[in-house]
Amino acid sequence: MDIEVKVLDLVRSNIEKKGAVTLQSDLRKDLEVDSFGTIMIVNAVEDAFGITVEETDIKSMEKVSDIVELLSKKYHVSGKQP
Amino acid sequence: MKPSTLYQSLKTDLSLAVRAGFNPYYQKLERGGAGRLKADRAPLFDLASNDYLGLAADPRVKAAMAEAVNRCGASFCGTPIAAGYAGILAELEAGIAAITGLESAVAFPSCYQANNSLFSSIAGAGDAVIVDHYAHASLIQGIRASGACVKPFLHNNTDHLEKQLAASRSFRRVFVATESVFSTEGSIAPFDVINDLCGRYDATAVIDDSHGIGVIGKNGRGILEHAGISGFEGIYTASLGKALAGTGGVIAGREALTGYLRYNCSGLIYSTALVPSAAASVLASMKIISDEFAVRGKKMWDNHALLKAQLTDAGFALAGGEAPIAAVMCGSSERTILLAKLFFENGIFSTPFIPPSVPPEQGVLRLIIGAKVDEADARELERRVAAIGCEAKR
Repeated sequence: MDIEVKVLDLVRSNIEKKGAVTLQSDLRKDLEVDSFGTIMIVNAVEDAFGITVEETDIKSMEKVSDIVELLSKKYHVSGKQP
Repeated sequence: MKPSTLYQSLKTDLSLAVRAGFNPYYQKLERGGAGRLKADRAPLFDLASNDYLGLAADPRVKAAMAEAVNRCGASFCGTPIAAGYAGILAELEAGIAAITGLESAVAFPSCYQANNSLFSSIAGAGDAVIVDHYAHASLIQGIRASGACVKPFLHNNTDHLEKQLAASRSFRRVFVATESVFSTEGSIAPFDVINDLCGRYDATAVIDDSHGIGVIGKNGRGILEHAGISGFEGIYTASLGKALAGTGGVIAGREALTGYLRYNCSGLIYSTALVPSAAASVLASMKIISDEFAVRGKKMWDNHALLKAQLTDAGFALAGGEAPIAAVMCGSSERTILLAKLFFENGIFSTPFIPPSVPPEQGVLRLIIGAKVDEADARELERRVAAIGCEAKR
């Protein structure tokens, strides 16, 4: 599965707000994700990709696309996931 | 850093209150009889406190407190482990164990302290605590301080909880922490399902019943009665300062747990014991609940249904919680505070919740009518709510 599709799916299934989620969605402003909700998303990402996300990286996540970029550039998660 | 520099760095942003011309927090009020307050001598309906059954001003509760002061003094002036474990505290703990149907209970100076220090006593690195996204700050801060892995689950979503449980099998011990009644919007946890899931995954359930005890369940005995759970194996906590009209908190469950906490929970060991008058007020309240819940509980639910209808007729959107808590969905923080101001100016004291107490753009104005409003007051409230509704639409 494409990494973008997988991240979108993970975000969608770990937020309270129902509705459209895109790569450009702002976690706080558009998806109403609070700091505790961010932990929920990060936990799901860690479980799905088998990584541990650093605290400083969590703070830099504003848009859904930031998670994708972080995974590919810093954590070297490849484009195609099982 | 010099103290003066430190103090200069401590800034509180009150711009919202300044813009609204109203600060709803730390309002100076005089409390008189049940359900009535005074601010600058103007009477207010109290729909802000958690006095669900109207027991805070009950003469029997007040008399019990006065008698306890005369008998035991104003304070134990000591920690329960060393100098303050008097008979009235043991009586209170036995009473809580009886009303909840649990083996044993231990009293704390506050429920915040109980929740906050519980996890540091029983959990740590290598453990996981799966906790409802909207759980109270006292639980979340306590879990974080314990060093256990924090795993939030979507609010009251048992499918999401089960996924977290399935993904947590590698942890040494797993706890699931939630509240019975979520007090900002009045939802009630599906605790029968949560408790079953804990059984299936060998996890320990931790339930904070602060807004449930004295409120839900056929006899007002709280979440375990409401969910039809007997022989509860988990950990129960509650505030004694809401429907029970006292102060303090409690942790209850197996004797093995409470006995351990008495010697290993710093929030209990190093804190002055709950004052005797508080224990007495809760004991008196529990006796009234046991004798009169059928009448008082009905009044509370009838009043709540009336208030909800009044608010809906006035054009307000309410959260769909099942508990006797009316939650007006306000949106932005500014609108929430302005609506609180409008209620206040019309003689109704309410509780506005804005971030971080609620998610961004999900401000809530909470109104708890309880059993303390009589028919004449209910009619007066209806008139005022209708007027507020008209004014809010302008």
